[in-house]
Amino acid sequence: MKNGRLRLSSLSIWVITGILAVLTVLLIFYYISFSTRLGAQEENTEYERYYAMITDDSDSSFWQSVYKSALASAKEQNAYVEMMSENLSKDYDIYELTEIAIASGVDGIIIEADESEEMTRLINKANDAGISVVTVYSDNSNSDRLSFVGINNYNLGKLYGGLILSLSAEKSFSKGKIRVVVLTDAYAVDTGQNVLFGAIQEAIETEPGSGKAQHPPIEVSMYSVDSTNEFSVEESVRNLLVKGREELPDIVVCLNEIDTTSTYQEVVDYNEVGLVNILGYYDSETILKGIDRNVIYATVSVDTDQMGQFSIDALSEYFEYGYTSQYFTTDISLINKRNVTEYMEDREEDEE
Amino acid sequence: MKNKIKNLSVQVKMTVMSLVVNLFVFSINIVLLAGINNMSAKIDTVYQANIQLNELSASLKSVQDSMTEYLNAKTSDSLENYYKIAQEYSELTAGLSETVTGKTLDRMEFSIRNMSEVYLDEVGQTIEAKRGRNVEKYRTRYEEATKLYGYINTYIYSLNNEQFKENSENYREMVSALRTFETIGNIILIAVIVVNVLLILRLTAGIIRPLRSLTGMADEVAKGNFDIEPLTVWSRDEIGVVTTAFNQMVVSIQNYIRQVRENAETEQKLKEKELMMETHLKDAQLKYLQAQINPHFLFNTLNAGAQLAMMEGADRTYEYVQVMAEFFRYNVKKGSETVTIGEELELVDYYIYILNVRFSGEIHYEKSIDSSLLDVKMPSMILQPIVENCVNHGIRDMMGKGVIKMRVYGIDDYACISIEDNGAGMDEETIDALLNGRSLKGEKKDSNGIGMDNVMARLKLFVGSDDVLSIESEGPGKGSRFVIYLNNDVRETYDV
Repeated sequence: MKNGRLRLSSLSIWVITGILAVLTVLLIFYYISFSTRLGAQEENTEYERYYAMITDDSDSSFWQSVYKSALASAKEQNAYVEMMSENLSKDYDIYELTEIAIASGVDGIIIEADESEEMTRLINKANDAGISVVTVYSDNSNSDRLSFVGINNYNLGKLYGGLILSLSAEKSFSKGKIRVVVLTDAYAVDTGQNVLFGAIQEAIETEPGSGKAQHPPIEVSMYSVDSTNEFSVEESVRNLLVKGREELPDIVVCLNEIDTTSTYQEVVDYNEVGLVNILGYYDSETILKGIDRNVIYATVSVDTDQMGQFSIDALSEYFEYGYTSQYFTTDISLINKRNVTEYMEDREEDEE
Repeated sequence: MKNKIKNLSVQVKMTVMSLVVNLFVFSINIVLLAGINNMSAKIDTVYQANIQLNELSASLKSVQDSMTEYLNAKTSDSLENYYKIAQEYSELTAGLSETVTGKTLDRMEFSIRNMSEVYLDEVGQTIEAKRGRNVEKYRTRYEEATKLYGYINTYIYSLNNEQFKENSENYREMVSALRTFETIGNIILIAVIVVNVLLILRLTAGIIRPLRSLTGMADEVAKGNFDIEPLTVWSRDEIGVVTTAFNQMVVSIQNYIRQVRENAETEQKLKEKELMMETHLKDAQLKYLQAQINPHFLFNTLNAGAQLAMMEGADRTYEYVQVMAEFFRYNVKKGSETVTIGEELELVDYYIYILNVRFSGEIHYEKSIDSSLLDVKMPSMILQPIVENCVNHGIRDMMGKGVIKMRVYGIDDYACISIEDNGAGMDEETIDALLNGRSLKGEKKDSNGIGMDNVMARLKLFVGSDDVLSIESEGPGKGSRFVIYLNNDVRETYDV
């Protein structure tokens, strides 16, 4: 083209066509990737065995942590663990959930049991239906359950007792006696709590003579917390703390995550920091913060990973060999002002 | 390949071009539409599962209702109805997942399936107990079944919810993907349009380029500049054909112009020659005019001679010189005019007189004249040369008496002049030569300058016909006869 007005080298045409082709390929690629992504939103692996995990408060980070660990080890052994209350539109109690699990034909049940007769009946029913049951955290010792996975309550009681003693020695309690309240589950017909309570008392009573002289006498009592519904725990704890200064407990021992968190919250709310000392349970973020802010004196960390893993191990062992241990004990560790930063850092690292 | 493309016609080129362009857009559209269709089909299937679950839920309720109805009424109808519905429900649950997978939905289906089995079993036992009138048993069984019914319902409901949650998630993702897809598609379409326009521009430019140069050249030619280089023919399409034709046309025009120029040059040369000839003619005429002076001078001197003879009293000399002067005067005066027969006859008389003086009266001149014809017009200097011819060729070398007979007579509309001698005569060849105007050998000597060929030509011109003169001779030695046929109508009164 001599006038050059419409000059277009064939090169530019090819370049544009090439870009176009690339765009088209991209579009097709995008479309294909989208299609496959849609199909594979969740893994399609089939599992050989199906376990149900039933707990009272499945949303708590404690149980979520246990569940996570259990799920991980279950998948290793070609099994899947279902947190039963999850994804259900209705809130069922653990008994109903157990019934559902039995009717659903699961292969094994991991349950936060209690010592009630109903629980025993259900566990036995499951056992009759060929479903192995492992109790976790709290036991039903009368039933035909396969194993119990949990902490040693005696050891835990000893630990708490030691903590109470060191608290008493550290802080100068001006009152005549040091009131220690152990929060217990009102409806739990549980030997575990009694063992624990006994261990605390034992630890205080067997305190070496040199320490006794430095603090007022210690009075340990139980306080029942109503855990029947979502708000009852908080109400129970409040009732304990909304009292005259004389009647306020000096030390509150909490034996689960919810109690610990509630007590921590109430103490802060009622401006009783320093007056009421909290010995907590579990190491959720809130609890760790409480320690960091000097509201909670110390907490016990239960190895939830172990708890989850042992539950699955118990079931797998049984399926594989036909028998397994009756008890699996998980480790506990103490967290207080001295090592809380370490834990928090670890947690952050884990989260990252 | 490229040459093949070049040789395609413009129509084919255009068609192929638009086909390619349209196909391109079409295929892109197909891809886009296929993608969008596929996506919306997926959205459809997403809701299909919910519909199935609703059916399942409805069927479950029917089972429970039919059981309750039977427990209430215990009719065989309701029992039959129960069996039918239970069967239906069992079939429906058979479609649920049998396996435990990582998918929540699959696991829930698995649970529903198993629970439904237990439930149907429980319901069956309830019915059995009722039929067996075991009140205690059917009551507990009924409670169990109802409890399970509740659980299954919750599961179905939850599954529905879960599904809906997941579907909503999918739907949201799909819609956003659709948007992205659309955007990319639109960008591609726009790009395609741009590329198409560029392609068309390029292709049409390829078609138009030769046209442009063709128009440019045509403009040049229109301005009159034929001296141009022939156009290059790029292709063998219509434009190529036109270009070739144009080139040929230019070449033809160039050739034509050259020819015309050459012709003009030749014509110029011819004209120059003609001009030259004309000049020569004028020159000849001038010389002729100069030559005419001589007879006048001769005539005047002869007149002077006649007067001198008369003064000296030599009457015969006087007469002779006078006749000679008359003879030459006629020649001078009438040389180029139309005269009457009478005047011509007079000149012949003078001539005969001169000859007889010269040859001492050897020639007999006889006249037979129809006097009514004397004023008929004729060219001058006709009869005297014929007579001279008769004297010179007919009677001069003759032994004996030479006779010349002159007759003027009329036949029909013609005035005839006959000149006859009794001399040597002529052969056919000579007659033919005379009639066709060919001069005879050795004719010019002794004549007054006008030959027979001249006579013939002037006669023919005057009358406008070839049959104006006839020559007869019966052979050598037997004399000859000239007859002139003149138109009787042309008389002195007319001015020709």
